[in-house]
Amino acid sequence: MVLRALFLILLFGFSINSIAETYTLKFATLMPTGTAWSKILDDWVKEVEQKSNGRIKFKMYSGGVMGDEPDVLRKIRKGQLHGGMFTGYGIGRIYSPARVLEMPFLFKNVEESDYIREQIMPDLETGFRESGFELLGWPEVGFIHFFSTQRITSVDDIRKLRIWLWQGDPLGEAFFKAANIDPIPLSIIDVYTQLSAKHGSIDTVYTSTFGAIALQWYSKLKYATRIPLTNAIGGLVVSNRFYNKLPADLQQLLKTTGKAMSDEIRLDAREENRKSIGILEKNGIEFMFDWDEVNMEELLAIRDNAASYLEQTNYIPAEIFARTEKMLADYRNRTANQLNDESGTTATTTEQSAQSPAKDISD
Amino acid sequence: MRLILILIASLISTACSMDKMLVRSSVPLIENGVVALNHETDLDLAEDSIPANLNMLQGMINIDPENALLHTYAAQAFYGLAYGFNEDSRPERASDFYLRGLKHGLVALEIDGTRDLANAPIADFEKQVSQLGKGDVAAMFWTASNWAKWIDMHRDDPEALAQLSRATALMQRVIELEDTFYYGGAHMYFGVYYGSRSPVLGGNYDKSRQHFDRAREITSRKLLIPDLLQAQYLARQQHDRDDFHQRLSYIISAPDDLMPELGLQNQIAKRKAALLLKKESEWF
Repeated sequence: MVLRALFLILLFGFSINSIAETYTLKFATLMPTGTAWSKILDDWVKEVEQKSNGRIKFKMYSGGVMGDEPDVLRKIRKGQLHGGMFTGYGIGRIYSPARVLEMPFLFKNVEESDYIREQIMPDLETGFRESGFELLGWPEVGFIHFFSTQRITSVDDIRKLRIWLWQGDPLGEAFFKAANIDPIPLSIIDVYTQLSAKHGSIDTVYTSTFGAIALQWYSKLKYATRIPLTNAIGGLVVSNRFYNKLPADLQQLLKTTGKAMSDEIRLDAREENRKSIGILEKNGIEFMFDWDEVNMEELLAIRDNAASYLEQTNYIPAEIFARTEKMLADYRNRTANQLNDESGTTATTTEQSAQSPAKDISD
Repeated sequence: MRLILILIASLISTACSMDKMLVRSSVPLIENGVVALNHETDLDLAEDSIPANLNMLQGMINIDPENALLHTYAAQAFYGLAYGFNEDSRPERASDFYLRGLKHGLVALEIDGTRDLANAPIADFEKQVSQLGKGDVAAMFWTASNWAKWIDMHRDDPEALAQLSRATALMQRVIELEDTFYYGGAHMYFGVYYGSRSPVLGGNYDKSRQHFDRAREITSRKLLIPDLLQAQYLARQQHDRDDFHQRLSYIISAPDDLMPELGLQNQIAKRKAALLLKKESEWF
């Protein structure tokens, strides 16, 4: 009898150990199914489920079925969802200093943007963690341009337009205030309707070149600026509440694969935005207002003014913006010196390189 | 000799004209064939009969290539073949059929006087569409239907996505001219258009519901497709599991003779509803 009981205990104990605990990650994104990015996301889901031997399972809610980004964040904080992919709009509600990467007219090109992001990534991860989230990866929406029914050839032209402001976006508000532009705050939901109306309240919007196509806004507009306003960020996150429950190997799996998947989306977004310029031109959109037509000092003054407004509310602390500027200046200086070493010409000064026109911003 | 050549030429010309006359006199046969097919409730029988009808239609188009009505029928036939019998099981084949339907639709609209609708600058495109009239409604409807479906199957291609505004402008013109055309099909289009996307990406759930309601009103809720589409797109997008389940269950339990003149469409709706119900636990 005793032996039988012992046998059952051993058997029972063995069974318990052999059944690994499974974790269901409820994940939401605005990305519609069937799109290129959502296919990359689907591959990530399969990879994680497979490499975890089924210990992590996903419940995916794509295409905004869980609401917009603030809705999804609310649901994550309540524990109804565990993770999601966000644009700067949502990231600003998690850890707003990360949006220093979206400061207007900051980066010359994607290499600069990639370099600075990598430098401040440990700080960003800490900031997200302290705000209740684990940052897994950093996809990207890409460069944001103005699109308008009117020609844009100067900042003064922009001031005369009826420009949409994404309601509730502190970074957008700071930019327009700094540029002395009086925007029309509207929910993104109303943008297409207002663009389509004969006497709509707006005639100008800002989005990525791919976004202008995906949202069909381009069909109501004629012109676009070559100068991008900013490089819009994205973030892949899970809640700490979920992440901290995972054993170390599964945490590592999410981190490694999440970063690789986000990198893939970032590259894909850049390619789609590049391709979209040609498609927009083919459909009658005229690109104008390039870096060589702009007063760079005026743009940098707008950026610095915007930074000081954002510092006042601590949305982007002064120390973070100053450190980013310093790193960027050093990077530009190093890069310029390397180029000069190769070409044998005179190096530019740190100050000059940090302030120089961003002619080579590429989409 | 010259006289003989003229005689031969005129005989050939007469023969061609006679062929065209024969084709044109056969159009009522096609119309009756469509009516008969729509009554068919055996899906296998319906699917088997479509290729032969399409071949006949293509033969008639070869004889009378400037006949817009024939191209419009071809656009309709390819849409039906893709949506009813291929989209769920063979999506690549369905995509090809939608594209072929789109090309026939565009040819029909060119015959009606438009120029290069697929590539014209948007402003020119919109001007041309605004000049189309009631007689062009069928060609516009089937062109837009095929176009939107083909785009939907290529969402990963920005070039395809950029064309959505053209399909939508055509369908908007259908609503303006004859919103009851093909059992309120244009309202079903806009029900899906506004219901399949988050408001942040251009969706509008109230507008979607209004269009589905109007489509149901037009057929006195005897056609099951509006409920199918509302469950598939709007209920899913709104994450409303009860609505999704109830609408699909209603479709499956609806009597087979609910609308005899559209028995085929209702049988297709039933088959699709059963497939969608299998996805319920995955989606909600």
